[in-house]
Amino acid sequence: MKLRIFAAVALAAALATVASTATGSTKRASAQSVTVWVMTDAQAGWPGAIAAANAQFQQQHPGVDVNIQYQSWDTVLQKFDAALAANDAPDVIELGNSQTAKYMAAGAFSSLKAKNFPNSSTWLSGLKSSCTYRGKLYCVPYYAGARAVIYRKDMYRQAGIKRLPTSYAQWLADGKKLMKKFGKNRNFSAFYEPGQNWYAATTFVEDWGGHLAVQQKNGKWKGTIDSPQAVKALTIFKSMVRKLSRASKTQDEAHPFPSIPFAKGRMASFYGNGWEWPYVFNPKGGAAPKSFEKKMGAYPMPSHIKGRYMPTFLGGSDLGIPISAKNKALGADWIKAFTGTASETIIAKAGNIANTTKLANVNAHNPALAPFARASKYSWFVPTSPNWTNVENSHLLKQMLTAILTNRKSVAAATHSASKQMTTILNASS
Amino acid sequence: MSSRSPAAAAAVPDPRVTSRRPRRPFVTRLRSGAAPYLLILPACLVIGAVLGYPLYFMGHLSLEHYGLFQLIRHQGEWIGLKNYSQILHDGFFWHVVLRTLAFTAAAVSLTMVFGTLIALLLVQLGAKMRILLTAGLIFVWATPVVVAVAVWSWMVDFEFGVANWLLTELHVGNFNHHDWFASTLSGWTIITALVVWGAIPFVTLMVYAGLTQVPKELVEAATTDGASPWRVFRDVTVPLLKPIFVILISLSIIWDFQVFNQIWIILDGQPPPQYFTMSIYAFTTSFQQSQYGLGSAIALVMVVILLIVSFVYIREMVKIGDAE
Repeated sequence: MKLRIFAAVALAAALATVASTATGSTKRASAQSVTVWVMTDAQAGWPGAIAAANAQFQQQHPGVDVNIQYQSWDTVLQKFDAALAANDAPDVIELGNSQTAKYMAAGAFSSLKAKNFPNSSTWLSGLKSSCTYRGKLYCVPYYAGARAVIYRKDMYRQAGIKRLPTSYAQWLADGKKLMKKFGKNRNFSAFYEPGQNWYAATTFVEDWGGHLAVQQKNGKWKGTIDSPQAVKALTIFKSMVRKLSRASKTQDEAHPFPSIPFAKGRMASFYGNGWEWPYVFNPKGGAAPKSFEKKMGAYPMPSHIKGRYMPTFLGGSDLGIPISAKNKALGADWIKAFTGTASETIIAKAGNIANTTKLANVNAHNPALAPFARASKYSWFVPTSPNWTNVENSHLLKQMLTAILTNRKSVAAATHSASKQMTTILNASS
Repeated sequence: MSSRSPAAAAAVPDPRVTSRRPRRPFVTRLRSGAAPYLLILPACLVIGAVLGYPLYFMGHLSLEHYGLFQLIRHQGEWIGLKNYSQILHDGFFWHVVLRTLAFTAAAVSLTMVFGTLIALLLVQLGAKMRILLTAGLIFVWATPVVVAVAVWSWMVDFEFGVANWLLTELHVGNFNHHDWFASTLSGWTIITALVVWGAIPFVTLMVYAGLTQVPKELVEAATTDGASPWRVFRDVTVPLLKPIFVILISLSIIWDFQVFNQIWIILDGQPPPQYFTMSIYAFTTSFQQSQYGLGSAIALVMVVILLIVSFVYIREMVKIGDAE
């Protein structure tokens, strides 16, 4: 009998484990508050812009609380879906410009009038189009970012590199010089390239004339990462990574952020976003002393076509108002405050490209950040299908790169299966 | 059930005899009859609310096409058994099922073997060491999974991990920048070690509690008769502890079959397909591909498989309970 009780208790414990699921919800304090979801980037990189926007908003709406909830890129969409299902969406949400299409197509955002928002006539066209679906505006451009090579001037000098490379061939030769000079240290990379950084790999693909996927005349999408141009580019990419990089081949550029091993002297260069420059000194990031900055420089990644740059991914973020938000008008006013010239200037100075061309020259005289603006002269963007987010979420490009770089699959085989998967996901009914 | 013997049939009281008994007042009868049901009612209500309703809802969802569009409108699209036919014809799904079963078998056997060995060690130890070891086990058991995984993932970190540093310092080989997850086998070894490590304390303490109840006379008698320690363990200890082993194995199967957190966190929330178990497959389908209907179908198939796998053990457990 004792045993039976024991069994019953044990079973109940097991069932409880089966049944337990994590749930989260945003607590709504009162009607007089506005809930904002923005990414942690703002918290780490430009808290001043948030503070300025909140101050301006509260001047306009005294007594209304601003509830800023910082989100992480890994989980924000899951949380947003859960909030939509529970009718508990925030009043403002930040999404990446490659994520908006899925949500606009599904009707997750309320439509907006561009003329109600500051600088809307000079918005970056790339960001504006990521907010437009069937001719209507569903979100407001927030900021964009370009990538460039961040490097160690002292190491380049010691390796005998006198002038910055202006072609890919020269760049690769310089990388080999660096490996020769410093490569005995087993932790050193001439160019630190996390294997799953698909933004970098796609930059190579685009430079050699390939694309991730294309839309055909009948409207259907087709994965084209196995095209001859893409296969050639990825073969070059693979040989480059194996020669110049000792970064993990199974991790992406956020694990760890390259700025951290960069600050520890483990590399001569990496391909990074503008905000990764200040992150080298951020106490939570690289935590390098300010004097380290003298050794740092940046330049756009040179193309295999002499005199050009490799196209950079024009990433960015937008701010939308969910269709089920409770305080849409307050949300719109907060967005107006946050995307006004004052906050956008702070955001740009933190290493980003502001949402308006009016602020294009904010960093022109900053030797650290000007190269990123120059790099954005040539750019690429992800396929504009509403299902693209599902391709990103399936991590199939990251897994393709790991398979290629660890020699688990040939470039041809890995790209072929990735293209097939992309075609399936992009054409799925949503 | 064997057919009843005539003697057993005769033992059934004659209904007429019963009816001639003086009747107890109705209320008393009701009260005594209803009491057990009343007592069990709260538990049933709780189980119904936290388990029954979600299961029902999931079953309903698995018969619908339910994507982001439907989620925003709170209105699914009925498609019958299409989700099920899709997964049953999907080679990858069966691959994941087999992988999950293989992982469960490996993790459960390792947990049971090491758990039992450590329990046997505990019996042999002196008081001080036993307290020390028990405390260590309790600490492992009390560590939240998320914390434990974070610690492990730092230990095997590619760039800054202590495992690579230590193995290189000990001249085991050049483990500088060794990537533990580059090969699927080595990655699964880490994950299995992590899961087994977390599960051992419970098994050890249970088996140890059982071992202290094994009558000394039995062991002494067997030893006097010339039985080796292994023989004593096999023929005296194991049969006596069988009920405990059966329960521990069935619980371990349930836990390891649905392992999720360890794999999810150590692979940064983006496990590649070769690390998919059924729970991860169901989760990514639902929450990353926004195919909630399909995800529910996978989860329900998982529940059914789990029921089949653990049925044998649960039946065994019920049998043991009845025998007492």
